[in-house]
Amino acid sequence: MAYRSALSVLLAILAVLLVADPAPAQTPKRGGVIRIAEREAPGLDPHLTISFLTHSYMSLAYSQLVRFPNGPEQKSPTDFTIVPDLAEKWTVSKDGKVYTFSLRKGVRFHNKPPVNGREVTADDVKYSLERFMAKSGFRERFEPVQAIDAVDRHTVRITLKEAYAPFLNHLASPSFCAILPREAEDKFKDFNHPDAVIGTGPFVLKSYDKGVKMVFERNPDYFMKGFPYLDGVTVEITPDAAARLAVLRAGKAELPHVWGWISPEEARSLKQTTPDMVVTPYRVIGQGFIYMRTDQPPFNDVRVRRAVSLAIDRKGWNDALLFGEGCVDAGPIPCALTDWKLDAAKLEPAKAKALLGHDPAEAKRLLAEAGYPKGFTMPIYHWPGYVVPWRSYYELAAEDLGKIGITVELKPEEYGKYISTTALGKYDKAAMGPSTPFTEVDDFLFGRFYPELATNQSRVADAELTKMLVAQRREMDPKKRKQIVDDIQRYLADKAYYVYVPQWPQYVAHPPYVKGFRHHDGYGLGMRLIYTWLDK
Amino acid sequence: MKQYLLRRLALAIPTLFLVSVLVFALMRLMPGDVATRMVEGHTYAPTLAALRHDLGLDRPVHAQYLDWIGGIVTRGDFGRSYWTRQPILDEFVRRFPVTLELAFLTIVVSVVLGVLVGIVSAVRQDSVSDYVGRILAILALSVPYFGLAVLVVVLPSIWFKWTSVWSYVPFTTDPLENLKIMLVPAFVFGVTRAGPVMRIMRSALLDVLRQDYIRTAWSKGLAERPIILRHALKNAMIPVISLIGLQMPLYIGGSVIIESIFRLPGVGLFFFEALTRLDYPVVQSVNLIIAALVVGLNLLIDLSYAFLDPRIRY
Repeated sequence: MAYRSALSVLLAILAVLLVADPAPAQTPKRGGVIRIAEREAPGLDPHLTISFLTHSYMSLAYSQLVRFPNGPEQKSPTDFTIVPDLAEKWTVSKDGKVYTFSLRKGVRFHNKPPVNGREVTADDVKYSLERFMAKSGFRERFEPVQAIDAVDRHTVRITLKEAYAPFLNHLASPSFCAILPREAEDKFKDFNHPDAVIGTGPFVLKSYDKGVKMVFERNPDYFMKGFPYLDGVTVEITPDAAARLAVLRAGKAELPHVWGWISPEEARSLKQTTPDMVVTPYRVIGQGFIYMRTDQPPFNDVRVRRAVSLAIDRKGWNDALLFGEGCVDAGPIPCALTDWKLDAAKLEPAKAKALLGHDPAEAKRLLAEAGYPKGFTMPIYHWPGYVVPWRSYYELAAEDLGKIGITVELKPEEYGKYISTTALGKYDKAAMGPSTPFTEVDDFLFGRFYPELATNQSRVADAELTKMLVAQRREMDPKKRKQIVDDIQRYLADKAYYVYVPQWPQYVAHPPYVKGFRHHDGYGLGMRLIYTWLDK
Repeated sequence: MKQYLLRRLALAIPTLFLVSVLVFALMRLMPGDVATRMVEGHTYAPTLAALRHDLGLDRPVHAQYLDWIGGIVTRGDFGRSYWTRQPILDEFVRRFPVTLELAFLTIVVSVVLGVLVGIVSAVRQDSVSDYVGRILAILALSVPYFGLAVLVVVLPSIWFKWTSVWSYVPFTTDPLENLKIMLVPAFVFGVTRAGPVMRIMRSALLDVLRQDYIRTAWSKGLAERPIILRHALKNAMIPVISLIGLQMPLYIGGSVIIESIFRLPGVGLFFFEALTRLDYPVVQSVNLIIAALVVGLNLLIDLSYAFLDPRIRY
């Protein structure tokens, strides 16, 4: 008996040892420069472009009022809890219309002329947010904002026309609301000039040799004491994807992409050729779909749209192209947006089938019922240049639809044409492509389905749905909002306004000596790099 | 000679005029609308109409053309990029030395390799070295330079954890470092261009070697080396030089991919990015400058014939 209990104690100890983290948390080392191989950003002014590269690079230098959690603060890569940045605390009025932010005191801009390290005040916040509302391509997101007031030196009040639940998420996004100093714009006309890049962020832009590299150094006065660990960040401009991976393998860069991203194929190849490289899969926000002119025949008939959806062999695509690692339940809210996603398993099975089922016979029956027993011909407009596996996706869609009698004419378009017409809902019959990975659920719902918006690519106009779309963005109680969002997902399941295709995981690669670099889906780069350190 | 030069310069004007009209028209025939894309991405103006007005796109097409070409002819003003609002000439001048150096080194590599192998092939016609040379030439011709460039960058990174991609340093800052960076891309590009040079060199030299004056040289009892190098080679070089002139646009065009893979901040990428963003003034002006350079270079090449072959008179 004594023997048995001793054994069980021993087993218990062994189990604890096995479960425990094999490498105890190391103390971060200070110093070193992280090198990133990435393409050039089209500009540096965060309000004058919607490029994620501009926003990511500039997030090294600028701060926002509030931000998303990063590094050890985050529970998952899609943790969009709001944490303080320049604002140390804030209150929201009961009706959800008045936000009052208290700024941290003594936060200084980078010590560069003409700003010369002066303190950030409420006026800077007012100036920056108003500039965002006047100039940014994303300014629609602040449409409900009525007034921004500097109450005193360290207090900002934002008044909305109506309650607007997505507001804090937008304020926290590095894509939108960088806080900029007015003097720099006065001197340089905009924030595109490298000398005009003066923020309060963890890194200071030291030099920018166009086409070659951007050099950032640690901000010695950064308001989060002790951070960042790194001495600096260098972006080595590397336009070619094969070259980016080659410099990672050759030890000439720590990140082969601004966020370290590589494709599933590249991840496999990298693991094989360079086994010591750290390669981590993440489920990230992403979505792709076939979109259709639901305001015109034949796609104004829900039976035709359901037939299109039932024709797509999502599991087959996932197995063939994504090594079975993708998520087939990719719409209308992306798989990775776990706080909002209503899994297909929680839907009525009949409705869920229209969302992600595969049944060509049923699809044919629906087409015949809708008056197309012999099928029809449809174009699929697309841009062939999107990352792997998009090119295969277009072909598989054509093949699957061909099996139910729909003849697809693949219509490749030049990027400029695609992005300025097709992607804005100006196309004939049908098109296909990926969605921008937004951080706020509202963008996937209101943005995709509200009538008359350019991002409503299927031109949906559904009165019952529209009511719910507006209701969710006005509901300030997260639990109640979640219920409305669930209702919307239940409602949308069998409408097939968009036909969703599987979403692949994203791999992040870096050498083993890069520590504390955790992926977060909230764009930006600065905050994830403040917790990053080099064990060399 | 002077008259010839003047006549050629006068002929260059209609050529460049045609280039300017063509590139201006082609840009506007490209699908997509620059203003829509800019409003979608950049908001320099509150509305599409305001942006169009701001960029001058609301004016009649001929007026837009005259604005552009007028600026160049009267003030030497090549305009500003729609997107970055920076003067095009500044950016071109900053980037052109990179592309020029790459083109120059590429020509050196292709000529040295092509001419050497071509001479051996011609002089030892139908020997083993001739066959080897010809096979190498066909191989060089059939390997796409972009494929070769990717292999050269990727394979060593897998095998040796090393790659020939560096951060660009200008020649004026550090000549040795600069040459280290430029040699591999120039070699990759040059090897694939050496194929046609070798083929032309071989056939031209074979032709010259059968001419009477070479037979005379042989009968005088001259040694092989001076006959080939001093008498035959100079004349046989004419088609090779013409070929280099004809390939000039290719060096600039091909530089897009070479510059992208080896991350060299040259004109190729500047041009390519402008093209994908429908940045009309950049594409037009860069095209026109390069066309002018190609015209000028071909003139120089034509003039060099007189030096190579004294029988040619202008």
